[in-house]
Amino acid sequence: MKILGRQVMLEMRLFLRRKDDLFWTVAFPVFFIVLFGLIYGDMQWDFVDLRAIEYIMPGIVVMALMTSGIMATASGFVEERERGIYRRLSLTPLKRHTILGGQLVQRYIVILVQTALLLVVGVLAFNISIQGNPLWVWLVVTLGALCFLSIGFLLTGLIKTARAANGISMVVFFMLMFLGGIFFPTEMMPDFLRTFSGVLPSTSLNDVFRAVIIMDLGAGEIWRELLIAGGWSVGSLLVAVRLFRWE
Amino acid sequence: MSTVVEVKDLTKRYGNLIAVDGVSFSVEEGEVFGVLGPNGAGKTTTVEIIEGLRKPDSGEVRVCGIDALREPARIKDLIGVQLQATSLYDRIRVKEAVDLFGGYYRKAIPTATLLEEVSLTDKQGSYVDGLSGGQRQRLALALALVNDPGVVFLDEPTTGLDPQARRNVWSIVRSLQERGKTVILTTHYMEEAEQLCGRVAIMDLGKVIALDRPSALVAAAGLQSTIELTAVPETLRSALVEADLPGRISEDGDQMLVYTAKPSHVLKEVTRIAADRDIDLESISVRRATLEDVFLALTGKQLRE
Repeated sequence: MKILGRQVMLEMRLFLRRKDDLFWTVAFPVFFIVLFGLIYGDMQWDFVDLRAIEYIMPGIVVMALMTSGIMATASGFVEERERGIYRRLSLTPLKRHTILGGQLVQRYIVILVQTALLLVVGVLAFNISIQGNPLWVWLVVTLGALCFLSIGFLLTGLIKTARAANGISMVVFFMLMFLGGIFFPTEMMPDFLRTFSGVLPSTSLNDVFRAVIIMDLGAGEIWRELLIAGGWSVGSLLVAVRLFRWE
Repeated sequence: MSTVVEVKDLTKRYGNLIAVDGVSFSVEEGEVFGVLGPNGAGKTTTVEIIEGLRKPDSGEVRVCGIDALREPARIKDLIGVQLQATSLYDRIRVKEAVDLFGGYYRKAIPTATLLEEVSLTDKQGSYVDGLSGGQRQRLALALALVNDPGVVFLDEPTTGLDPQARRNVWSIVRSLQERGKTVILTTHYMEEAEQLCGRVAIMDLGKVIALDRPSALVAAAGLQSTIELTAVPETLRSALVEADLPGRISEDGDQMLVYTAKPSHVLKEVTRIAADRDIDLESISVRRATLEDVFLALTGKQLRE
């Protein structure tokens, strides 16, 4: 337990020193929430009884989770593996699951901080009203963390080089972002795209977050989206475990 | 003295290539044992199997009496390893890296002591990616020593270092030996093996082709001394070849090498033959034969290209 704590501290320290990770996980999402807040102001969309910024904000949280869970995880892990760091560590008594545990806990902490930061900015700067029960919000954010971290680690099993990891994780990130209704509502998409978009984890988590954080809906009303996100989480986790490699 | 590392019939294949082909040797406590050979001889694969990084196709490895292939976890506290290319997190400071690795072991040498030993005290606050090659190598040494191991593996510890940095590493290895540690090092520098190692295993194409003290290897190859003559005129060359000198002659252009066990005798003969013909020798030197010469004699090829 003490060693796990030290690993978490190490990962956190390394994270805070990586300027590109900090940019993508902190500055990038905050930039978008500020940008959309300024663009939309108090604008309403006609298809939903919410202010546009309230409609958009949960998607920015999804985006933030993806920067940590997919981008930082896939490129960070593949790079450290390629550099031979895990190989060197395997000569010490440090257990491999402790390395992994340290990374997961650190990313989870970052995800919780990112979410809190975005909510605070939304509330203070743009007067977004948060209706959801905190425990319920925490649970769905945790589901999102699990889902994207699983996808991130799944990618590390598929990708060999750090260069490729950077590129591929970025493509996955932007695909999930644009098709997930994060910058514009999926209601604006043509039908065939909307069907495809509907089964993506980013879309379902976007809907779940909006329902829970902004609209305070119960599980009964979003069971379909919860099921999709849960399915992605479990499925990706299983494949990630199968494909996982240290060298 | 007791045997600290014992390797028997180690074999490792990669497809059609036999990287390690029936390697056996044992290393005694307190010894500095060298594994010498050209690139691709199987040195690194051999030591990485002992360290537990690679699984052999067959063979046995015992480290401090423990079956290292069956119980690799048990030897981790007993050994220290410097890999050929040590990579660390780039955004970690020198002191943090040593603290970090020390924390992984049950007992660890204080970071300040270790940094002092590898002369990195004034670099302790620097990021790893800002270190020079020699500094990185010394940090890798510090990490290999952090658990105060009885057996230290150094894989090509001075490759790519300038002469000064190389000497730094050598003096650290000597101080390890003075403290009774067993050191196993691989190198393709014969000078390094001669300077540091009590015994040397010479490897080529996955096999150990000779194993002994450096001086004994030189003697066994019948190469106690080498007399080197440069810019030798044609007439003198043929006269020397016909002179039936007590040694073996090899010619290379106008340069001649005489490998001999009787250097003063050969020297006297050579100068007499030259003086009789009124030829002045421009350059003549006597040197001890080296492991380089041994490798050449055993394999017919140069250690370094």
